[in-house]
Amino acid sequence: MTVVDLIRHGKTGAIRPGTTGAAGAAAPPGLRLRRSRVALARLGGGLAVLVPIVFLSSFITYSLGALSNSDPAATILGQDAATPAAVLRLNRALGLDHPLVVQYWNWLFRALHGNLGRSYFTQIPVAQSVSQRLPVDLSIALLAIVLAVIIGGTAGVVAAVRRGGWFDRGVTAVCSVVSTLPAFVVGIILVVLFAVTVRLFPANGYVGPSTSIPQWLEHIILPSLALSLQVSADIARQLRTSLVEVLDRDYIVGAKVRGLPQRRVLVRHALRNAAGPALTVLGYDFPQMLAGAVAAEVVFSLPGIGQLLLQSAETRDIPVVQGLLLVISTFVIVVNLVVNTTLNWLYRTGDGLGA
Amino acid sequence: MSGRGRTSRGRISLRSAARPRSVLRLPSVRVAIVVLAGVAFLAVFGSKLAPQNPLNINANALFQGPSLHHLLGTDYLGRDVLSRLMAGTRLSVFTALEAVGIGLVLGAGPGIATVFLGRWFDFAANRVADALMTLPSIFFVVAVTAALGNGLVQAMVPVGVLLAPAFFRVTRAATLEHARAQYVEAAELLGASKVHVIRVHVLRKVLPNIAVTTAMMTAAALLTVSFLTFLGIGVQPPAPTWGGILSSDLDYLNQAPWAAFIPGALIAITVGALNALADAFRDRSSAGTLSLADPVIATDPTLERAYGDPQSQSVA
Repeated sequence: MTVVDLIRHGKTGAIRPGTTGAAGAAAPPGLRLRRSRVALARLGGGLAVLVPIVFLSSFITYSLGALSNSDPAATILGQDAATPAAVLRLNRALGLDHPLVVQYWNWLFRALHGNLGRSYFTQIPVAQSVSQRLPVDLSIALLAIVLAVIIGGTAGVVAAVRRGGWFDRGVTAVCSVVSTLPAFVVGIILVVLFAVTVRLFPANGYVGPSTSIPQWLEHIILPSLALSLQVSADIARQLRTSLVEVLDRDYIVGAKVRGLPQRRVLVRHALRNAAGPALTVLGYDFPQMLAGAVAAEVVFSLPGIGQLLLQSAETRDIPVVQGLLLVISTFVIVVNLVVNTTLNWLYRTGDGLGA
Repeated sequence: MSGRGRTSRGRISLRSAARPRSVLRLPSVRVAIVVLAGVAFLAVFGSKLAPQNPLNINANALFQGPSLHHLLGTDYLGRDVLSRLMAGTRLSVFTALEAVGIGLVLGAGPGIATVFLGRWFDFAANRVADALMTLPSIFFVVAVTAALGNGLVQAMVPVGVLLAPAFFRVTRAATLEHARAQYVEAAELLGASKVHVIRVHVLRKVLPNIAVTTAMMTAAALLTVSFLTFLGIGVQPPAPTWGGILSSDLDYLNQAPWAAFIPGALIAITVGALNALADAFRDRSSAGTLSLADPVIATDPTLERAYGDPQSQSVA
């Protein structure tokens, strides 16, 4: 059972005040051990479900190439050199004379060893071009998450504390507008505002963080902002809703009556218990952020995996396309597992066996 | 939607006239319906009503501002922007609907069937849905067009296939809930056939869930499709689409920086209207089963994620 299920069943509503952080410390050692064992078992269960998923999605990925009906050997050799004998020889060299399942197995086996094949045209190893370009998208996605937490978190907390006020209403309105704007549209708007009209940031290009960190930030801040807005809106809405509810609870009133400073009440008592849904949203958004980074990356023409994908799709460079799809979907699967396990661990119920 | 037994109070009946009327009373729903009607009108009649030929190139009128002759100005080839937007509505909207249709058929059918076909089918169908959900939509669609060629069908079918898991999960969960209800048990004891049970007791009650999902997925598909056409996948220039117009606007931002706002706004408004409609119907149909004690369910972008909506996030 995932955390989202838990939330759907209203169980997080039952997180008792103070238990989220304090339960582990307060529980007897035996119970703690049992809990970590349960978490491990869940992780194992998650892995067991993952294996067929990985096989299935990678098989879908690989069979795209077979479906393509294109003749890779003829493509590589070019029309003049593609004599039947040469095509046959190259097919054998590429391992394309085997049945699909065997080809798939060989491909997956090599992929597990970091070999995703070579581009049909440039002969550059796919793994190399992917690992060259992946950092661009990872930077965008990670900075977007940071921005989303800062923007969405602040907006959500302030809106909840000043419930009903103009700021609260403003946040609600802005959130509903922002959530309809796709990242690439936001990206274009940002380019117009901050790169064309006011020349604050460059409209395109990329500089690696190893070259110059300020320049790196300068180049990825607009794409990250474009990517982060929707998630910010999600976080703000979730946080506002749950914080408003928590702030009405008796123990918050009690803490205030006891004269604890407002900031302490807000951060240590309210926020800790209200953060769950927002964290869940964030966790589920994260793997998709990488895919979303493609949109931002294309708008700002950064040399990321999206550009690589589009180029190789245009030239029908199947190994590159397959490799990219495999890397991305595996990434999504693994991050999903990590997020699920982390959230499960964070929201383990009192006895550790509940969920 | 799932997991919580519906009380008789919160029961959904399509026949009761009270529910749609009360939803229609909401201002957000009224605005959404007007917007969607407008978009539908443009989709059907847009290319006929367009004041000028959307493909007509005029080298003497590049990047003109709004004027009486060109209400929204002209683009980098001197084509009338208003006409292009009006004519482009059809491709943008119908392709999205096509994808949703594919997703609906591929997802909802097995979603209902899986409850009645036994554990193995259920297990297999769920794993397929899981696997499809791990494929990021844009990547997958671009990969398919790389393999099968760049065309409308090659792009829309994979979009639909990736929408299917969301339909599958929602229908499966809703069906499961109703298939275990006591009245179904009673009907079976009375000798009702499976077909009868599905038709009378399940399908009718699952329909509202499917309707809400369809609205949500149409919004998601519209975003995916406009991004794909923005990338030049599925529909290529010079055929006008909202995404395609955005793409050429991006190339000429220095000459006409504000041109991108109108197609962007068109996409956003349509998506917003669909989401508002879905939200209103969802809130209404689950009223009575939700308490304020679980605020997450009441507001609930999480639910969409739980139901695995791969599109909206990947484009996001």
